[in-house]
Amino acid sequence: MMGMRAHFAGTLLAAAAMAAGASAVQAQSREVVIGAIVPSSGPFAEWGRTNTVTLKMLEKQVNDAGGVNGAKLRIAIYDDAARPAQAANSLRKLVGDDKALAVAGPLTSSACEVTFPVANQLKIVATSQASSKPGVAKANRPWAFRNTVDEGILAKVSVPYFKKNFNVESVALIYDAKDAVSTAISTRIMPAVMTANGVKVLNEKDPLSFNTGDLDVSAQVTKLKSLNPDGVVIGADYSQAVTVIREMKRQGLVKPVIGGTPLISSAILKAAPEIPLIAPATFYATMKGARAERFVAELQPLLRKESGLPPEIEPSMYDANIYEIVSMYIDAVKTAGVSGKPEDLEADRTKLRDHVAKLKGFEGLGGPIGFNADGDAIKAFYIVQGQNGAWETKVRGCSSANGGGC
Amino acid sequence: MSTYYAGLFADVGILLLGALSVYVILATGQLSLGNAGFMGIGAYLASYLTVTLQWPLTAALVAAALACGAIGIIVGFPALRLRGIYLAMATLGFGEMVRSFFLNFEPMGGSGGFHGMTHVSLGTIWLWAGGVLLAVLVLERSRLWLELRAVHDDETAAGLVGLDTTLTKVGAFGFGAAIAAIAGGLFAHHHVYIEPANFGFERSIEFVLAVILGGSTVGPGALVGAMLIVMLPEWLRVVADWRLAAFGAFLILVLLTRRQGILDRPLLARLAFRRSAA
Amino acid sequence: MLLQQLVNGLTLGAVYTLIALSFSLVMGILGILNIAIAELFMIGGFLGFAAIAAGLPLPAAVAVGMAGAAAIAFLIEKIAYQPLRDAPLITPLLSTLGVSIILQNVATNVWGSDPLQLPAEWFDRRFQLGPVSIGAMQLVVIGVTVALVALLAYLVQRTSVGRALRAVAENRDIARLLGVSASRITLLAFMLSGALAGAAGVMISLHYAAITPYVGVETGLKAIAVMVVGGVTRIFGALIAGPLIGIVEVLTVAYGGSQVRDLVVYGLMILILLLRPQGILGGARTDLGQRV
Repeated sequence: MMGMRAHFAGTLLAAAAMAAGASAVQAQSREVVIGAIVPSSGPFAEWGRTNTVTLKMLEKQVNDAGGVNGAKLRIAIYDDAARPAQAANSLRKLVGDDKALAVAGPLTSSACEVTFPVANQLKIVATSQASSKPGVAKANRPWAFRNTVDEGILAKVSVPYFKKNFNVESVALIYDAKDAVSTAISTRIMPAVMTANGVKVLNEKDPLSFNTGDLDVSAQVTKLKSLNPDGVVIGADYSQAVTVIREMKRQGLVKPVIGGTPLISSAILKAAPEIPLIAPATFYATMKGARAERFVAELQPLLRKESGLPPEIEPSMYDANIYEIVSMYIDAVKTAGVSGKPEDLEADRTKLRDHVAKLKGFEGLGGPIGFNADGDAIKAFYIVQGQNGAWETKVRGCSSANGGGC
Repeated sequence: MSTYYAGLFADVGILLLGALSVYVILATGQLSLGNAGFMGIGAYLASYLTVTLQWPLTAALVAAALACGAIGIIVGFPALRLRGIYLAMATLGFGEMVRSFFLNFEPMGGSGGFHGMTHVSLGTIWLWAGGVLLAVLVLERSRLWLELRAVHDDETAAGLVGLDTTLTKVGAFGFGAAIAAIAGGLFAHHHVYIEPANFGFERSIEFVLAVILGGSTVGPGALVGAMLIVMLPEWLRVVADWRLAAFGAFLILVLLTRRQGILDRPLLARLAFRRSAA
Repeated sequence: MLLQQLVNGLTLGAVYTLIALSFSLVMGILGILNIAIAELFMIGGFLGFAAIAAGLPLPAAVAVGMAGAAAIAFLIEKIAYQPLRDAPLITPLLSTLGVSIILQNVATNVWGSDPLQLPAEWFDRRFQLGPVSIGAMQLVVIGVTVALVALLAYLVQRTSVGRALRAVAENRDIARLLGVSASRITLLAFMLSGALAGAAGVMISLHYAAITPYVGVETGLKAIAVMVVGGVTRIFGALIAGPLIGIVEVLTVAYGGSQVRDLVVYGLMILILLLRPQGILGGARTDLGQRV
């Protein structure tokens, strides 16, 4: 308890010092400001906090290398506690007070639904690092983007692999009914793709559901087991999926599991190592490739030094995504003729948007990145299999319409 | 005003309405922990009217308020059987049921939420919030309010002196539900997106919190409470990872030092005196 | 499958019973809703988890969880309830809400927001009884619940402390006239209630083997419904209502469609409140309708 209080006081002092430091810098030198909205408190705190460490690392890297066009880079990071209203107000603050050129975030789809319309109204680019609910950026053109791939595109590649590799003839559905992405994956995307691939969906009319925060899914899993499927579709984010997979193992339902990007995490690999998991990812911590490996090598020690994060933490897909988003903004500031003068702020923001919209072949951590007309990323993705505690790439795909360009 | 503060003040106005919806019900001694349910019904109904049926916003808000007022009265009758913490728990159950209903209500998007509303201006929000606040303040000066307070202080005695306690209590529920519906309609048109999770237990508690923090015995207390609940998390950003804990600690501190809330009659009188002296 | 589902429902019901009992201990005696119980249960879970991870045996882990949660309950009583004991009911409800917010934040900062999981080999053994398969941990959950409830029953019904508890629950003023220290009894009720919530937390974290700082809220709300169905002031009503709600939930999922589960549970709660406010067993006090 004493240690906690000392830590608390320390945090207060550090924060005060940081605030003082930031305003001093503002007074003395020209700077380029990029905004970020991350959920550093509340149920997604861990993602928000690793995002913060990632951005601080990037900021230091850029400034150590001489800044952006001679100006100092400042990444203004706000915590939205995963609450839509706070995310929208953070965006307003970034636009009005911080004079940010562009914004990375927010993370959750619910926050994006409320924040993207504000981005359109205030005319500033906002790119989410995680939202994968179908159509969220599309509904808020032309300023909203997402550095994620539509779950529908991913399923078209993951399902054939799942079917072939595990000889799956039939699947049963279970999903988190409180979560929009999970509902879309399990009740719309997966049934359609499964049927198109000749896999029978055993409970399409009556999919099993639970709610975010449920601890007990034993009844659902018992029913799942009675359907006797060859494979299981789990529509849930990884922390809820852990509960389902644990229960499957407990009841002896050891069948391969397939899901969407929300399944990707290192935590889920520990749930039941003998149950194979298939999910799409654009990045994972043990991924091969020079850029990805360097990113992990640099970020991981910083994450593990940070208090308030578990000691075994690894960079997440969303850390990679937000790193790419801000790197892409910096690249745009350098190449799109952004003047950086206060009177050109609106023009600069428009230049940034046009640059991002036309972006092709920007070097991301897992391959080149661009954006389609819906504002979602065209990038390489990997169908990965989680088994015995590690992810392993099985298929490489590309999210462009014709399959090329990655 | 910066666009940031404009956004915050819009949230304050909406929360003020939510708090007032709890305040008028609380004035009769009934605690509702389910007003987010009324807010949700109002939000979905108003959005349906403006988006699908193309009604103007004002008409949609009035219709949502009337419909929700009627639902409030329907809920108010069985609520007569319950008192104190029992009523609080029943209303909590009502709120959870409404949320669960919209989660399963596919015509309005289910868990995927509902879009298509046109953004409402800060001025409109405050026209409604200020108007309702004014109406409550006028009500507070009326004989009707004395009856409400009489039912609050001693229901049996109020009944003995010939007050219609049933009408008062049920009416308060109806009025509170109508205000919550306006809050919901404005919320939907400010955020231009709604989903069932917006109207859960946390939202109901937030309304009650605004009333109790700001001062549960005077109408303007709800305004103070709403300001604090919206602004404080923003001002507490300096404590970084301890932001929510700091808010919790502040809440306990206020309750310990001013259990009647920040604003009460003596303080209001003092403020008024100072103003007239200056 | 029905038998298997009943076993699932009983396990879930056992957990609900423990949390509902901790709500109703405070509610029955003081008439206030201690919202922070949902978080005590979460903290108890993390503590039990930490104990198991540190190599302690199961009984020690349960003890650690109970002691930790009871200690926090002690602080809650001293800081957030005692100074407000004569305030309207709503005030301690909100001050305990303040404690909840703090506890969630502390847990997030200490343990992170990702689910903590025990290595799989823990308590994974299963027994096959005809068509029904029961996990070792399920038996532990049900067993510990029965033992704790029996212990509590003995404490409340047979000891002098229990008589004092019941006297205060019945009538505070008369209890004081009889020489019972109401403030000591209040503190005791808070700590007992905390210990029960802590035990439930340990059970849950070990059985479901995955715990986050946010598990308290949903389960806490359900436990409130269980308390109401059992009769708020009838401490042992929860013993019937816990398994009942657990089985109702499980059967709704099994036969009715999982989407309507929460509608059914809260609908049942409201129905009971309206038709039998004294709980399904009847006989509980209903004069708790104090002013708010």
